[in-house]
Amino acid sequence: MANLFSEVLFSEAKTQALVSQYGSPCMLLDCEKLADQYRQLSAALPNVGLFYAVKAFPHEAIVNTLNQLGAGFDIATTGEISLLRSEHINPRRTIHTHPIKKDRDIRDALRFGCSTFVVDNYAELKKFRKYGSRVGLLLRVSFRSPDCAVDLSKKFGCQPEEVQVLLAQASALGLHVKGLSFHVGSQSTSPNAHVAAIHACRELIENASLPLRILDIGGGFPVDYDQANDMDIAAFCAPIRAALAQLPKNVDVIAEPGRFLIAPACATIVSVVGKALRGDQPWYYLDDGVYGMFSGRLFDHARYPLHVFRTGVAVSSVLAGPTCDSIDVIEEDIQLPELEVGDLVVGCMMGAYTAATATTFNSLPVPRVVVFGEPVRAKLAYIS
Amino acid sequence: MTKTWNETLYDAWGQRHDIDKVYFEFDTGHQQLMIFHNALFGRVMTLDGVVQTTEKDEFIYHEMMTHVPILAHGKVKRVLIIGGGDGGILREVCRHKTVEHVTQVEIDKAVIDMAIEYLPSHSAGAYDDPRANVVIDDGCRFVAQCQEKFDIIISDSTDPIGPGEVLFTSQFYSDCKRCLNDGGIMVTQNGVVFMQLDEVKTTAQRMALTFGDVHFYSAAVPTYVGGIMTFAWSSDDKTLRHVDAKTLRERFKAAGIKTRYYNPDIHAASFCLPQYVLEAIGKADNR
Repeated sequence: MANLFSEVLFSEAKTQALVSQYGSPCMLLDCEKLADQYRQLSAALPNVGLFYAVKAFPHEAIVNTLNQLGAGFDIATTGEISLLRSEHINPRRTIHTHPIKKDRDIRDALRFGCSTFVVDNYAELKKFRKYGSRVGLLLRVSFRSPDCAVDLSKKFGCQPEEVQVLLAQASALGLHVKGLSFHVGSQSTSPNAHVAAIHACRELIENASLPLRILDIGGGFPVDYDQANDMDIAAFCAPIRAALAQLPKNVDVIAEPGRFLIAPACATIVSVVGKALRGDQPWYYLDDGVYGMFSGRLFDHARYPLHVFRTGVAVSSVLAGPTCDSIDVIEEDIQLPELEVGDLVVGCMMGAYTAATATTFNSLPVPRVVVFGEPVRAKLAYIS
Repeated sequence: MTKTWNETLYDAWGQRHDIDKVYFEFDTGHQQLMIFHNALFGRVMTLDGVVQTTEKDEFIYHEMMTHVPILAHGKVKRVLIIGGGDGGILREVCRHKTVEHVTQVEIDKAVIDMAIEYLPSHSAGAYDDPRANVVIDDGCRFVAQCQEKFDIIISDSTDPIGPGEVLFTSQFYSDCKRCLNDGGIMVTQNGVVFMQLDEVKTTAQRMALTFGDVHFYSAAVPTYVGGIMTFAWSSDDKTLRHVDAKTLRERFKAAGIKTRYYNPDIHAASFCLPQYVLEAIGKADNR
């Protein structure tokens, strides 16, 4: 199964066999590819605890696979907690990273056994006052990042110069801030933002009035959507490793990868259900689109590598989804040979922020997810 | 390799148990109940990563939750237990021959059944006592609708972060007050005060809305880690927590109960709170 995508999905007969078995559209999730991605990132970031960002694709097989590999989990909502609970995840290997929470969210997380929370302002700190010794906090610091597809330091994070004030405020409230976190953004094109943020956090940690022992370097580890090849993550992380090496010895480093782990582990098979020539361009209508598994085309600004099983002269074509909405277009100008109704199209690198944001608009069901290579489930959550 | 269980109550510190054997695990999807064996504490019951009770140290908690209010009152005939599904409180209440009736309201029958099977020494047959009436219901709803009266109400709940949350509300306290006879006493478990000082403050404030006299008494229970645990005490008669030692000795002797933690001197001393607790609840002294 390790070669599910390379061997099967580029063979028309094998892809057709999958559709015969599971229907179209469907998403394939390869747990062994996921495990391979985890091992690659672990090797690229030795001694960094990897906490999978569950929001990228909240699916039990993914949680289960990563749990078996020793991963932790980055959660942001009670719904995500429910998923981890049902998969018997040890709550001590989870962190709650949403900077803004209702009291109910905090209680639900505490009741689950997750006691690490992220905070970036005084109003949020005050919410934890009554939970005192039950919680340990990470202060999220904002470092703006022009090199990312999604800049996550605009909506969340305090300014670096606010850190010492927030530390003092937390201390006055009887709260324990145990570290700092940052998130440079999603799909970074260079490690420069990570490196600069790590250096800035090192200074903040060295100058802090109380010991800080955790640095959460967030996510942003990129995948290569253009070529559908494996990204050289070891090379990308080399400057990050060098920056981390300069941290004080007491600091444990963790990260929140989502996209890097899951994007390459999923592919979507869709079918051409209609075609028309509009002006000079052929339009092909598919049985899934931006309201379904291709939702990341809009929300995540992602362009997925697409594969068809015909050869011939490629011309500028349009790939549209099945809903009645005119925004439901996956590609407006893609070079394709002529396709016929019934042809299959394979979307690769489709694990991150795809199924997670799919809707049922037009009462179209979210395509089923077919799991390959899932390991046996964990049994007891609190035992280690 | 030794299997260990780590409590998840506090972020930076906590107790760890080596597990000799897991007897029972029940996952409702909403909460996870487990009973395992530990060399020092015998059978340990946990809920959502927090110790609920253990075979070896449960006597401290159950004796203090029961005998302190019953012997302070002196003429108890009717007792209401909220929660307490493990049966430990019921066992101690039933040891008082003068008690004529005890109602226990437990939200989850599965907890009672599980405790009878896996923690049999907790209830020690008390569920078969003809004076015991077990009701499976939400404790909050039960007291809101209850038309009966009791001399003592004992709220043996989980941690307020857990499913017992509603048993720490002003509404629950005022409903309980309505179910008490004149001269009645309500006691509730209130956590480990050094670790959860805010919970004592909150309880004191909420109970004071309903009861004329609110205080706490304490005992150290090893697996409720972090120092003394507090029991909230509320009544309308301040003299009930200042019953003199001679009277308590007479009542204790008359009850004919053999205890392992409780005695009349411990009873009297348990109302003496440390200064930091008095400050938290806004009292100048223990009187």
